[in-house]
Amino acid sequence: MNTRDNRAFATQIFVSALLMLGVGGGLGFSIVDLRQRISVSANNARILDQKTAEAGRRLSELGGSVAAEQSPEVLQRRNQALALGLGLPRESQVVRVGVSAGERLAAKRNAEIFQSEHGLVSMPVHFNLGGASR
Amino acid sequence: MTARGFATNIRLGLIASVVVCCFGVLAARLVQLHVLDREHYLAQIQNSRHDIVSVIARRGDIYDTRRDILATSQTEITLAVDPWAVSKKIEFQRTPAQRERLAVKEREKRARLAVELGMQVSDLEAFFTPAWRDVPVAQDTRDEAADGRVRIEWKKLREGVSEETFSRIEALHVTGLTADRSYRRVYPHNELAAHLIGFLNKEGAASGGVESFADLYLSGHDGWREVERDARRTELAQFRNREVSPSDGWGVVLSIDTAIQHIIEQELAYIVSSFKPGKATIIVSDARSGFLLALANYPTFNLNAYGDAPLEVQRNIAATDLIEPGSTFKIVAASGALNEGLVTPATRFDCTLATILYQGRERKFMRDDHHFDHPLAVSEIISHSSNNGAAQLAMRLGDRRFYDYARAFGFGERTGFPIGHEEPGLLADPAKWSVPDITRIPAGYSVAATPLQVHYAMSTIASGGSLMRPQLIRQILDAQGEVVYSFKPAARRVVIAPATAESMAAMLQKVASEEGTAKVAAIPGFEVAGKTGTAQKLIGGHYSEHNHVGSFVGFFPASRPRVVITVVVDDGHPADGRIAYGATVAAPSFRKIAEQLIQYLDIKPVTSPLQAPVGGKLLAHNQGARP
Repeated sequence: MNTRDNRAFATQIFVSALLMLGVGGGLGFSIVDLRQRISVSANNARILDQKTAEAGRRLSELGGSVAAEQSPEVLQRRNQALALGLGLPRESQVVRVGVSAGERLAAKRNAEIFQSEHGLVSMPVHFNLGGASR
Repeated sequence: MTARGFATNIRLGLIASVVVCCFGVLAARLVQLHVLDREHYLAQIQNSRHDIVSVIARRGDIYDTRRDILATSQTEITLAVDPWAVSKKIEFQRTPAQRERLAVKEREKRARLAVELGMQVSDLEAFFTPAWRDVPVAQDTRDEAADGRVRIEWKKLREGVSEETFSRIEALHVTGLTADRSYRRVYPHNELAAHLIGFLNKEGAASGGVESFADLYLSGHDGWREVERDARRTELAQFRNREVSPSDGWGVVLSIDTAIQHIIEQELAYIVSSFKPGKATIIVSDARSGFLLALANYPTFNLNAYGDAPLEVQRNIAATDLIEPGSTFKIVAASGALNEGLVTPATRFDCTLATILYQGRERKFMRDDHHFDHPLAVSEIISHSSNNGAAQLAMRLGDRRFYDYARAFGFGERTGFPIGHEEPGLLADPAKWSVPDITRIPAGYSVAATPLQVHYAMSTIASGGSLMRPQLIRQILDAQGEVVYSFKPAARRVVIAPATAESMAAMLQKVASEEGTAKVAAIPGFEVAGKTGTAQKLIGGHYSEHNHVGSFVGFFPASRPRVVITVVVDDGHPADGRIAYGATVAAPSFRKIAEQLIQYLDIKPVTSPLQAPVGGKLLAHNQGARP
């Protein structure tokens, strides 16, 4: 029996086994690492999902709060509380003007040019607070 | 001697045997786990790792015509307490000192939680005190000891916690505190347009209004996903095997405008405080398209507290309650007779007659409130609201044709209003009429209609002769806010010719003039056309002298109508003891609403654009002269 051949064969087997273990182990670790990375990525995606959902929820809540604050009833209450006196003008307070707004403004700023052309006289708007006379 | 090295046959054989043994053991274990005990472990995994999570779809929002939110869905959190969790956690501590430290720390957290929830600490501590619940011994399987009592491990602490508050509470990390998140429907404007919007009850079922009618669009479809969890019950996102995404509900854009709605609700509040009616309704619609711009009823309720409102308050009386329309119904006889060419606006009738022979029988007219010293032209019959004249116009038409016109104007049939349980009204077939009916029905008695029917009958004249379909929904939006469908104006039928509608509009203008019954409704320059209505209420089988339904239905400007407004005050009582005529209780409100709409909708005057201001608040260009 050729003992050298046997030893060489055994050595080859041993080396191959070690190689297989190494490759197998490496492959295993790679797979584990890959799965870990997938897991981390999926988890990050889940967390992002949660954050998006949370942002959406907060947005809805904020939207609802803004809508409530812009409610005509609330605005009117604030208007009264802050004594702002804001509101739609009454028809009796409105003076309707028959000429175009452009011409009016032009006449107001350049009365001397437009006066002769359109026969308009510029007159500034006065607003008497609470109807008080000056 | 030759070195034999490490790899002797024996050593190699030994190592190989060990490796083979190891693999063998592994293989055996794998066989045991995956083949022999497979079912057992699979069942365990199934129970502990697998879960099916339902993903709730978000219900769509309801918007007004300017996309202001009228109804939205918000998440809210329900907090609950496991009172035993704290004691269990404390028990796990090794030393008494550690236990004491943990107990103190938890108490401090709970004190801060009490502040967040606005509760007394003692009240909160009561929730965290471990307690037992008695159960029949046979059912006592929840803990080890079958002693007829089980631990209470869930106590509801607070509902409706906002996201903002919850994020602060969550940061406290209070042991034993659990939270459940759910969607809640929120109505930011409370009472505004309550009868139109409807509400979602605690079970999530839509009740009334658009919530119910458009539920198919709004509700969406819930999704689900199959997940696996680790020992801490945290979802392992990488094992999401199957997933069906939720489909959020679609948005619904209504035609109503919150600003106009607010205007009419304020006016309704004024009517209620001034006349203390049993019920009242105001309706505003676009004259050309028939889309509703606002609709308000009294009594009403807060959508966010619907549970406090009795059922009768939740009824949309504009569509469900019947009234005798009174003189507003006179437009039917006048329009019909004009449309058939039987009369002109100048045709005169003797309205002083007490009786008339009609179809071979003597008919007694209803008494008019005023005595007329001359035969009334058709236009005067309308402007003076003569019962006698209206009856004679109907007689010109004949029973059947008059009835057909009344039906064509929408009386006696549902308008097709999508919200609520609309009533068709009462309009008997001529075959069933009693002898006096031909004198009463043209004046708006012996006929019953909803305020909505009366409104759309007048709207027919404003639209140029077409009976429009009452519409409330303008658009459907998908979850991303893109328009999926737009609703177009729809006419139900052509009732009268445009020329007839024009004549009627001109005649109705005289109602809101010095000679008419509602001069208080007139707005100079804006051609207000309308009709007052006052009907005695039928109480105990008799027409009451003290209880009336006063109304005013009109539109403006008559030559190019923009809006139709109806004000109905049911059983109002003016403070000075006057009868609640339509001109007294409804026409002034019409004018006030109309004046605000002129500004809000920028409606231009038809006549005399240069108008002197009253009160001298504003001085502006006025042809070079100070007013």
